Amino acid sequence: MPDETQEITLLETLDHLLDRGVVIAGEATISIGDVDLLYLGLNVVLANVDAMRRTGQK
Amino acid sequence: MKSVVIGAHLRREDVEPIAETLPVGELFLSAVSIANDRPLGDRDLLIEVAGIRGQLLDRATFIAIRYGLAVRDEHEAAIKCIGFVPQWRKLLDAHREEVEMTLKAAASAPPARPDRHDFASGGQYLRALHEASRAVDVDPQFKTGIERTLVPLATEHRWLHRDTTSIELAMLVRRRDLETVRTAGEKLRRDFPKIPFLLSGPWPLEVFANDHQQ
Repeated sequence: MPDETQEITLLETLDHLLDRGVVIAGEATISIGDVDLLYLGLNVVLANVDAMRRTGQK
Repeated sequence: MKSVVIGAHLRREDVEPIAETLPVGELFLSAVSIANDRPLGDRDLLIEVAGIRGQLLDRATFIAIRYGLAVRDEHEAAIKCIGFVPQWRKLLDAHREEVEMTLKAAASAPPARPDRHDFASGGQYLRALHEASRAVDVDPQFKTGIERTLVPLATEHRWLHRDTTSIELAMLVRRRDLETVRTAGEKLRRDFPKIPFLLSGPWPLEVFANDHQQ
């Protein structure tokens, strides 16, 4: 099943890109569905952008 | 324009012409230039960077920098990365002939994931989640099989607990041993046909770069 194999390879490649390696200081806004997620390069922080903004304003 | 940083390399020729080069101290960062208003979460950009990462690894081993670091120019890159350069240099010198391989396997009896509502604070919940992840293991016979077939081919290895449903083995492998590792993976699949696992790589220095950083 080449399609499934290609899909697994892509997912694995993106997992390594997004979740491995040395963390310096960076962030990316990634959309899943219609929800923007703020990715901080740290496993523990994956939050809705609106929630992060509200937290920051307090 | 801004530059999305991919990795740290020993030599300029390890990067060019595959990617843009940003010199930092005695090392070179690889990067991709994009328009300032292009979001880092752009799917096509992620796939493009992943592809360039693979081409760079074909050229030479490098230290992977987690996706998300974008800089305006060399000056900003130097400010953010110069403190890492001595350690990165040592790592690249030590492991220039090696790459990482990973094996992900499903947990044999995954522990129940903690329910957020059972905890009074987020901190308690995260600690419980961490403990549950640490308790994950694979079938003992399968683990023995891995330790007999794959681990001896690695120059270093590390078991990682990332979540409550799987366990991961990260290995440093000499480039010349890559085919032998893949063959050992196939034997493992024949010996344990009912256990789902994924052997992938080669990858740049990711897990082991972080280990040494800490």
